[in-house]
Amino acid sequence: MKEEKIQSILILLGSFFMVGFCLLPFIYMLVTSFSSSPDYLSSKVSFGFTFNNYRSVLGTDSLHFMQYLRNSLLISAISAFFCVFIASLGAYSITRLNLPHKMGFLFFILAISMFPQVCLISYLFKLMTSLGWINTYFALILPYIAWILPLCLWILASYFAQIPAELDKAALIDGCTPWQVLYKIILPVSRPGIFSTALLAFIFAFNEFLFSLILTSDHNARTIPVGIALFQGLHGEIPWGNIMAASIIAVIPILLIIIMFQKNIIQGLTRGAVKG
Amino acid sequence: MNKELRSPLLFIAPVLTFILIFILLPVIGTVVTSLYKDITYLDNKFIFFENYRQIFQDPGFWQSLRFTMFFILVSIPLEMLLGLIFAILIDQEVPYKGFLRVCILIPWAIPAAISSRTWELIYNYNYGLANFICSFTGISVQPVNWLGTSLGAFFSLVLADVWKTTPFIAIILLTGLQIIPGEIYLQAQVDRANFLQRFFKITLPLLKPVFIVALLFRTIDGLRIFDIIYILTHGGPGGATASLSHYSYKYFLAGDFGYGSAVSTTLFIISFLLSLVYLKFGKFQNTLS
Amino acid sequence: MTKKTVLLISCLVFLFCGCSKTNKNTVVFEVGGAPNEISFWEEIIKDFQQQSGIKVEIIRQPTDTDQRRQGLVVALKSNKNNPDVFLMDVAWISQFAASGWLENLDNYLKADKVDTGIFFKNVINLSDKYNNNTIALPVYVDGGMLYYRKDLLNKYGFNNAPVTWDQLIEYSLKIQKQERKTNPGFYGFVWQGAQYEGLICSFIEFAGSNGGIIIKDNQIKINTPANIKTLGMLCDLIHIQKISPPNIFTEMKEEEVRTFFQQGDALFERNWPYAWSLHQNDDSAVKGKVGLASVPHFAGNKSASTLGGWHIGISKFSDAKDLSWEFVKFTVSYETQKKLAMKLGWNPGRKDIYKDREIKQKFPHFSYLGNIFENLTPRPNLPYYTQISEIMQKHINSALSGKTNPETALKEAELEINNSIKRYLK
Repeated sequence: MKEEKIQSILILLGSFFMVGFCLLPFIYMLVTSFSSSPDYLSSKVSFGFTFNNYRSVLGTDSLHFMQYLRNSLLISAISAFFCVFIASLGAYSITRLNLPHKMGFLFFILAISMFPQVCLISYLFKLMTSLGWINTYFALILPYIAWILPLCLWILASYFAQIPAELDKAALIDGCTPWQVLYKIILPVSRPGIFSTALLAFIFAFNEFLFSLILTSDHNARTIPVGIALFQGLHGEIPWGNIMAASIIAVIPILLIIIMFQKNIIQGLTRGAVKG
Repeated sequence: MNKELRSPLLFIAPVLTFILIFILLPVIGTVVTSLYKDITYLDNKFIFFENYRQIFQDPGFWQSLRFTMFFILVSIPLEMLLGLIFAILIDQEVPYKGFLRVCILIPWAIPAAISSRTWELIYNYNYGLANFICSFTGISVQPVNWLGTSLGAFFSLVLADVWKTTPFIAIILLTGLQIIPGEIYLQAQVDRANFLQRFFKITLPLLKPVFIVALLFRTIDGLRIFDIIYILTHGGPGGATASLSHYSYKYFLAGDFGYGSAVSTTLFIISFLLSLVYLKFGKFQNTLS
Repeated sequence: MTKKTVLLISCLVFLFCGCSKTNKNTVVFEVGGAPNEISFWEEIIKDFQQQSGIKVEIIRQPTDTDQRRQGLVVALKSNKNNPDVFLMDVAWISQFAASGWLENLDNYLKADKVDTGIFFKNVINLSDKYNNNTIALPVYVDGGMLYYRKDLLNKYGFNNAPVTWDQLIEYSLKIQKQERKTNPGFYGFVWQGAQYEGLICSFIEFAGSNGGIIIKDNQIKINTPANIKTLGMLCDLIHIQKISPPNIFTEMKEEEVRTFFQQGDALFERNWPYAWSLHQNDDSAVKGKVGLASVPHFAGNKSASTLGGWHIGISKFSDAKDLSWEFVKFTVSYETQKKLAMKLGWNPGRKDIYKDREIKQKFPHFSYLGNIFENLTPRPNLPYYTQISEIMQKHINSALSGKTNPETALKEAELEINNSIKRYLK
């Protein structure tokens, strides 16, 4: 009995530490976003609670903040959607159809997902330039799809592999084409898996920085991480209050997703993490 | 074409097309460019390995290679250790489990570029949180110039990176914890093993394969570190924290594509070799069986 | 599923249409800078629109010079037809020109009979000519200045601004010690020391007449005893005399330096002329207490001031070159340039403004600046200047942080620069 007590105390302490560790920067971000003077921690000035940071971030057109956010949401959502669609075709081929060298394919794709992004940017820049797509959504969506594809493929493959083979064999005998099997059986059965994968793909795209930094030049396509990294406010120096308010607003969609779909995300991630 | 082959290839074709056009070709393009003198305001010229010869004589390159390696060596063990603790915590059957799991996802899901701005403020010399905590708790009377010394900047980056990536490791390790059959623990309890013994004798050995996967995955991911450096230090002070990604990015920006490509090709080769190691050690076949 | 697909595809189509809009009747102008600078440009644009009926769209950029350059480089390197017009830092012009990104303005100048003689001659010659073509025009000229607290110097019995570095150190030490009793965060001297272009501007001034950076036959010489002495002095300001705050070499860029001084926390400040009118704002703690002088020099030498400033140019890829030229002409017109001085207290590229009666009345220091501007020290005018500058920044900053000593820093910098220059020759 005594041992269990120690264990539960350790768990409680550990949990406190973990929550503090994970949330501290976020709370600091939140608190500072409501301060009129970000230097409130130095003894000289008071905190000065205010909504002005939010007001100026949302209300100043020339900051283009809402445009960055809209770009990010749209680009991430479109990338996630197409990525999951394409990946589910691939995963179906790997797990269900007699693709020769399927392990070879999977390894090849896994190896590719480990390429450093910086190795791609100069060529992507030239490619997008010659297509005239720099600073458009296409310039980001297409590389994002390719970039997230390996991850989605792995997760979906592991979901599909769990569906009993009898299901689609029966359908094939009934004269369904492979496309119909995928569309009518596999996809509906693995809907939760597909949803988790899409969430992950969205978050990965939303996080991306380097491509967006190189392939966009202004608010017509620039995403929110770059927007905040290069954020310039209205009040001289580094406008910390505004930056923190902008960060909080940018993080809200992500937070909502985490809170609502925590289970799906963790499940998806553990699938992708490969069972050893 | 063989009818047997047609549909599997048809279904995998979109995946391959995307990867070919937007990942493989760019990498090949970068390797080819690295053999050229490719500078915006000069004519392109094929120069074989001249860029590489210059790289190997370039102290800036060695400095960034050293930094990248040190960074991985310091941050990843920390992340693994903390990740293991966190994984055990979120694996517990406690009433607030959902809350813990939401908390741990937050650092992972906030874009690094955004959280780095907050870290930038935390490390601010005059009014940042870090110096406030130091003076409040009496650790240091004088404010510390966190990003101003090579060592300070290094560990500031390590902390920001540990914060961002530990959750990911914790979740991967959680997978490992969950597949350990409960009966083993029950048996151990019958044998009167205390929880430390159970941890070292059962949990750790059984976790090893997942642990290796997480380790190698993070290593390769850590090699390409860019966002937090771009925002927190710009490679300073004095180039002490320029990662290979950041170093080659600077050359792209300056219009020197050949040299920048050569640097990133080197980075590519390093991470490719590491990913071969990953493939060898991680037992991926099991996923599909 | 199918419904969603259709929805998303139509989204894409919609976006595609949205992206391919043409703005032939609009000039897209990319500009960054301090907040008051942007609002100034917004005003100018309004005037211009009223006068000419040409619409101008503004793209706001950060204050940081490197980030401003990055934004333009991405657009220009990809031959985008936007922005049409933009401001360039003096230091970028040769790279932009050598890359063929800038429209030759000579024909426009000739057609509209604009004489470049109205600008500072050395500024035009040093920075706006490439292969004898005029590819940019100076909107405003900058030169490094020393700002000082008149009130504090008087309070402690110093009558004049320091002329030599030794004096600056002496004054700082004494006043800092006294002022710290009431204001513990007080420092003697703030300047731009972070690892960025501004560091080189400061260094060129500090090293200025004491040798500076010498370029000859595609070789650079900075590892000279005089430069080592200068760099040693800068390190000592931070680490020995401690009259410059320790975050000089991490955080201090123009705006950080300005706000530091403006909060009343420093005795001396190295900055560009733009800070003057901001220091006179109502919310400034140093309003009416600031004096302006040349940057100090070493005993037996004379003061140097780095040529800075921003120039306007038209993109070679612009789809609205004629309209853009109208805008360029407007920005260098007498009225706009005068307004620039009146509103921002900045220093126009046109010489005639400095003789304007109203200007002289409002800014007595302008005639003094006018003289300084005739003799500014340029930064190396080379297409690969950015790379040289980056190497110098790295090593000088490393010395400032105390990581390497000045001798090694400059030795390594020179070696690395001369090695990398070879790559940029034809």
